[in-house]
Amino acid sequence: MTYNVVLIVPTGIGAAIGGYAGDALPVARAMSQICDRLITHPNVMNGAQLYWPISNALYVEGYGLDQFAKGKWGLQPDQQNRVGLIFDRGIEPELRSRHLQVADATRATLGLNLTDYVITDQPLNVELRTADSGTSWGTIGNPDSLLRAAEKLIDETKANAIAVISRFPDDVDTTVLTDYRHGSGVDPLSGAEAVISHLIVRQFHIPAAHAPALSPLPLDPEISPRSAAEEIGYTFLPCVLVGLSRAPQFVQQPTLDSIWSNQVNALVIPATAAGGSAALSLSQQDCLIIAVEENHTLLQVPPEPLGIKAIRVNSYLEAIGVLVAHRSGINLDCFRPNLSSLQPLS
Amino acid sequence: MTTHFITAEIDLQESPIKLQAAIEAELEKRGEPLRWAIASVDTEKQTAQVEAIVTTK
Repeated sequence: MTYNVVLIVPTGIGAAIGGYAGDALPVARAMSQICDRLITHPNVMNGAQLYWPISNALYVEGYGLDQFAKGKWGLQPDQQNRVGLIFDRGIEPELRSRHLQVADATRATLGLNLTDYVITDQPLNVELRTADSGTSWGTIGNPDSLLRAAEKLIDETKANAIAVISRFPDDVDTTVLTDYRHGSGVDPLSGAEAVISHLIVRQFHIPAAHAPALSPLPLDPEISPRSAAEEIGYTFLPCVLVGLSRAPQFVQQPTLDSIWSNQVNALVIPATAAGGSAALSLSQQDCLIIAVEENHTLLQVPPEPLGIKAIRVNSYLEAIGVLVAHRSGINLDCFRPNLSSLQPLS
Repeated sequence: MTTHFITAEIDLQESPIKLQAAIEAELEKRGEPLRWAIASVDTEKQTAQVEAIVTTK
């Protein structure tokens, strides 16, 4: 019997672990050692220039992850994808060249299969937004242009995974940006990034992920280690291309080795961010929900008022211990000092 | 197609799956839901505040 775990750290909510530059990746690496499949998403796996190939991790974009959790889509693992690139027309030629060189580098140095690229017929005009909750969101001025570019890539190059590189505004609030680079506050870009990849996945049912194109920022000697992966190059693209190259395809019908939500044994979420679609879906199945208190976020949405029965743990290290015990079928009550005696049924 | 950021207040339900259905039903009145999350919960009023992006044709 296999043991499959879903690890979610929602993007754009200021998660203390995973709210920065791929800084939940060590958690994913450790968790992947004690399960057969670790199903997680780009916000966990993407560290800009940095990434780590985890052989049993499934890189699933958020919209697809929600459909998977609902039982509508399955995941077909062990893919070798042809990754197509979409460039926002709003990207300056020099910045586009930087990204194309990165893409070529992943072909030459890592052996990835990339297709020729498409430039959108209009600038995408990404606009960033901060909600009342403090979380980051965004809207896209020309979503149809994005979808036309994706359709062209799929039709003409047979790409079966798509990386989008769009021009993000440079005029991000200085305080917000400084806080983020110093390891506090919210990633001001990530909410809009999720919207872009969700549009592609909803429309075409194939893996997608996003990398923002930005002008280089001035050197700041106070950069947090959690944000530092975004300071070591001109693009955030390598992790996206690596992740997409092996991302599972979405299937609508069961296949021999596809994975479906009823095969998920456990879900791990931050304890203050239980109000996502995937958590609500998986809580209705025979799935252990583990809520990690130490990974605080800007939100205050605990599992209990939503009707989600969760085991609260302090840390991801404790969560991994719970997963090991759960996988082994060991009663978790045995790990507490006071174990009550059995009682007769009334 | 246009993308819109919206918020909605939804009554808490007796189960997570009913809550999910209630959220999606409310968002569908305003467009096709693309991405959403519960941003806060008011346990006194028994409501959830939802932030979302929906698309319209």
